Amino acid sequence: MEAAKKLLELNKVSVGFPHRGGMRPVTENVSFSLHDGEILGIVGESGSGKSVSMLAVMGLLSGNGKVMDGSIRFYNKEQPEEYTELNKLLKGELRQICGNEISMIFQEPMTSLNPVMTIGAQVEEMLTLHSTLPREKHKEEVLSMLSEVGLSEVEKLYDKYPHQLSGGMRQRVMIAMAMILRPKLLIADEPTTALDVTIQAKILKLLKKLQTEYGTSIVLISHDLGVIRSICSRTVVMCEGRIVEQGKVEDIFERPQEEYTKRLLAAALGKGEIIEKREIDYQLAPVVKAENYSVFYAEKPKNAQQLGSTLAERLKSIFAGKIRREVVRGVSFEVYPGEIVGIVGESGCGKSTLIKGLAGLNPLTEGMLTMEAKHPQMVFQDPYGSLNPSKTIGWLLTEPLRLHSIGTKEEQRQQVLEMLKKVGLSEEYYDRYPSTLSGGQRQRIAIAMAIMLKQKLILLDEPVSALDVTVQEQILILLLSLRKEYDLSYIFISHDMNVIHRICDRVMVMYHGEIVESGKTEEIFERPQHEYTRKLLKARL
Amino acid sequence: MVNDMSFLKKSKKQNKSDNTKNWQLRLGIVLVSVVTLLVVVGLFWTPYEPTAMSAALKNKPPSLTHPLGTDYMGRDVLSRVMDGAGTTFFIGVATVLIGLVLGTLLGAFTGYYGGIVDELLMRLNDTLTSMPSILLALVFVSIIGTGKYNIIIALGVIFIPSFARVVRSEYLVQKEMDYVRNAKLLGAGNLRIMFVHILPNTKSILLSTITIGLNNAILAEAGMSYLSLGVQPPDASLGRMLSEAQGYLLSSPWMALAPGMMIVLTVLGFSLISENLKN
Amino acid sequence: MRYYIKKIVSLIMVLFLVILLTFLAFQVIPGDGALAKLGVDATEEAIEALRESLGLNKSIPARFVDYFKGILHGDFGISYQYDQPVAELVAARMPATLGLALISILLIVVVSLPLGLLCSKKENGTVDNIITLLTQTLMAVPAFFLGILITLIFGLTLRWFMPGRYVAPAEDFGAFLRYMIFPATAIAVPKIAMLVKFLKTSVIRELKLDYVRTARSKGNTDRAVLWKHVLKNALIPVITFMGMVIADVLAGSIVIEQVFNLPGLGRLLVVAIGNRDYPVVQAIVIYIASVVLIINFIVDLLYQKVDPRIRLQ
Repeated sequence: MEAAKKLLELNKVSVGFPHRGGMRPVTENVSFSLHDGEILGIVGESGSGKSVSMLAVMGLLSGNGKVMDGSIRFYNKEQPEEYTELNKLLKGELRQICGNEISMIFQEPMTSLNPVMTIGAQVEEMLTLHSTLPREKHKEEVLSMLSEVGLSEVEKLYDKYPHQLSGGMRQRVMIAMAMILRPKLLIADEPTTALDVTIQAKILKLLKKLQTEYGTSIVLISHDLGVIRSICSRTVVMCEGRIVEQGKVEDIFERPQEEYTKRLLAAALGKGEIIEKREIDYQLAPVVKAENYSVFYAEKPKNAQQLGSTLAERLKSIFAGKIRREVVRGVSFEVYPGEIVGIVGESGCGKSTLIKGLAGLNPLTEGMLTMEAKHPQMVFQDPYGSLNPSKTIGWLLTEPLRLHSIGTKEEQRQQVLEMLKKVGLSEEYYDRYPSTLSGGQRQRIAIAMAIMLKQKLILLDEPVSALDVTVQEQILILLLSLRKEYDLSYIFISHDMNVIHRICDRVMVMYHGEIVESGKTEEIFERPQHEYTRKLLKARL
Repeated sequence: MVNDMSFLKKSKKQNKSDNTKNWQLRLGIVLVSVVTLLVVVGLFWTPYEPTAMSAALKNKPPSLTHPLGTDYMGRDVLSRVMDGAGTTFFIGVATVLIGLVLGTLLGAFTGYYGGIVDELLMRLNDTLTSMPSILLALVFVSIIGTGKYNIIIALGVIFIPSFARVVRSEYLVQKEMDYVRNAKLLGAGNLRIMFVHILPNTKSILLSTITIGLNNAILAEAGMSYLSLGVQPPDASLGRMLSEAQGYLLSSPWMALAPGMMIVLTVLGFSLISENLKN
Repeated sequence: MRYYIKKIVSLIMVLFLVILLTFLAFQVIPGDGALAKLGVDATEEAIEALRESLGLNKSIPARFVDYFKGILHGDFGISYQYDQPVAELVAARMPATLGLALISILLIVVVSLPLGLLCSKKENGTVDNIITLLTQTLMAVPAFFLGILITLIFGLTLRWFMPGRYVAPAEDFGAFLRYMIFPATAIAVPKIAMLVKFLKTSVIRELKLDYVRTARSKGNTDRAVLWKHVLKNALIPVITFMGMVIADVLAGSIVIEQVFNLPGLGRLLVVAIGNRDYPVVQAIVIYIASVVLIINFIVDLLYQKVDPRIRLQ
């Protein structure tokens, strides 16, 4: 690798944003270089400054963000000694390079395309801006690029609008747009984060393919170590605006030097290390038993066929203005006391709908369901939405007791304070509002709220997905200790196979509303039977 | 790296924008307080009796004894403005209260429960809110008659749909939030969820709707009274004063300027507050 | 196609509903047309006779059917006050109101769109602050007070026009325009302020969205980002807002006609309300409401032309 030519070099770059009348730095002394033709990963948790550094390269910092110090050098491919200092360029000069020699794709394919421009026009704009290709050849070029990134029926696609495409397709369009001019450098900012696992793998494969074919170097920004490991050759680890460690991917993953990297790796991959094992007594009566259990959604009918086959059905759905769509199709399972059962599957497979049905949040259910808990509680994915922003933590945690008239005011207060301690928060949080808490702290409150009523069954809907990896770890440990303490059973939904592996006793794999496979966690991970399960496990790393 | 001096330099732009926000908010608060003070004082005391006429003092320009001059009947304009603004304010507040209470109830129930009633009501609501409010108000007064209380009823009823719409759309969003699901799981009843859990979260949007509502009420009342279809004598109101003043525009323009500026300053004050509070 | 049919059917239904509601609303009033027309001093027989001839003795549904049939033929009944067909009265007053509305709308569009775009470029500067305060102040001025100020300044002091001397367009179109520009300005200025502010907010909101970053990453100039990408998105909500503004302009003309002594529908309406001339009031209410509904209908159609996301529904 020593002989490889440098393409991009950041030298002690500090980026700052205006804050309270001054400039507050968000990255400090960031230095690394990218060699020609390689894929470099930048990994870090949210707020680590990884995106900001690369936006600075493109001159795309939002607000009044500025490169305060340092230099960003973009090397001439042919003349290794020559370089352009990007942060010193005039706006107009930088525009010549942006899109043309350096292009970028973003995390949110849903919002990154202009909603009122056709796909064709948006991709073609690149050619109009930078290419010398005659106009009449533009469309041809756009179509061939669209098929290049694995899109089909490109002729039709050309005239479509972004909202008519799925997330994966949009991201392919973004890639087509970014690559149509064969740039020397592609910056991919969390390109797969908003996508389902199976699609993630395909997009990464596509990036890899384009990199080999066009010789484009890629900087891949991700919080997901799995993504970094799968296609990058070198990686930079960032934390709180600084570079913690950088090196070859094998070295970083096998022999991390810095404490932070070790923690990050342990939390994220840990090779799916099991945190704690516990013997489950399957002779006991199950806390939940579902037989041929279906959950429906009420929807507006899209066409006449959907109204139903018999006259009675039709009249009913016409009158209600809605039809029932079966989202969970006759599943059967049990959960035993003290057990953690994981449900995996991609978005839309019905896993959330299933537990909403169990919780009683969706009344349209069929089939047998016996449950010991009268009020099974739930912990939601987004700790920002699950706590009422206008109430104090104390009020929120007292609410379940108030609703069920448990104890006097003073007893309620004592119970709440005790619970705060149990979830690792001090008493001072009692009078605080959710908005003053971090994501992890909020999730602790949400868990505390779920336990207040002392129900044996807690339903966890992606409880750690919105959290940074190191926080994830703490929450998982908290969940395990609470299980022991209160003798709880969990149904744990996740799209993250690693998390599932780490804490679940049994796993159910859901696909298109059905449970296609279930069994002990190790068995599923070691000997997956169903095609889809294998796919999920493969997409993992 | 902090020894880099640029860190200490103030970003002028950002700072200025914050300052103006504050400055505009302050201006709004000052305007509203001054106007409110005038009105409140006017309830108990005015420099002269607002209805006291004097042949000797007809159409006098502003002076030390009559800061805003006198009108065509020799009445003190400042006293009349204080009195008239009182009526205008009373109508504004009463109207907004009717709209707020009934609109919030309606919006909360329709937004929370949805269903066919909601759909029908919202269709009606859309049609009503698309109509200019002065037209609806005129229909009302031509049916129930003019006068202070009829105006309150007319404008109050007309404002219900706009409050209902705002509250409903807020409830539509809020009811899908996980904290509402959480409350349901804890066993909270629908009424409790609607009014204890969700309602406080609509406070900021309600606040700006209230200030906008007050402005609309003040403007609508003034317009109606100007057309002689609003407040009737002996009640004074800013709109009525303007309507009377128009005949004396050449001889005593202060008669029109005083109530007109009063309206402008009030409305400006409220809108500055609601604009800058939002951010 | 189904979308259009659905829209048209619902428009017709709402129009019908407006007629029905307006008709019913005026049935609540104690006393009836015959009484209103002849006054309380008339003899019982005379009133009864008039009731018979006006068809007021029929049941409410029957009267509504008569009224509705009449409307379909352009017949809105006879004015109590003027003893003339309402339709003729309304038609005679139309030019002033229509002219006023058209000139106002033209003024609003021509001034506010460029001004709004200009202002959106100046976020957080001193210029921006002045503009914000100015728009806020102008929005706070009631149109009729502005009308009075304009009369005072341009009419009475500068003598650019003679207050109260309206010239019909058929008589002298130039003089008509020269007079109308003043009431139209009174209506337009607060609306221009509103629209400038709305457009500015809309553009600034769009500028913060992800697709703008994408457009910039492609190497577009700031100007190209604004004109090619942002403008179309930012104008979508403006269409709806414009619909509301047009409805407001119509309403504003009711009051402004009073200020400038214009022989328009607004004055007719105000006088009719004062005289309890209900056939005239009903007709004008139905007329203005229908215009507003039709404008909303057009806005809806435009909306779905401009915004591809709505087309698929």
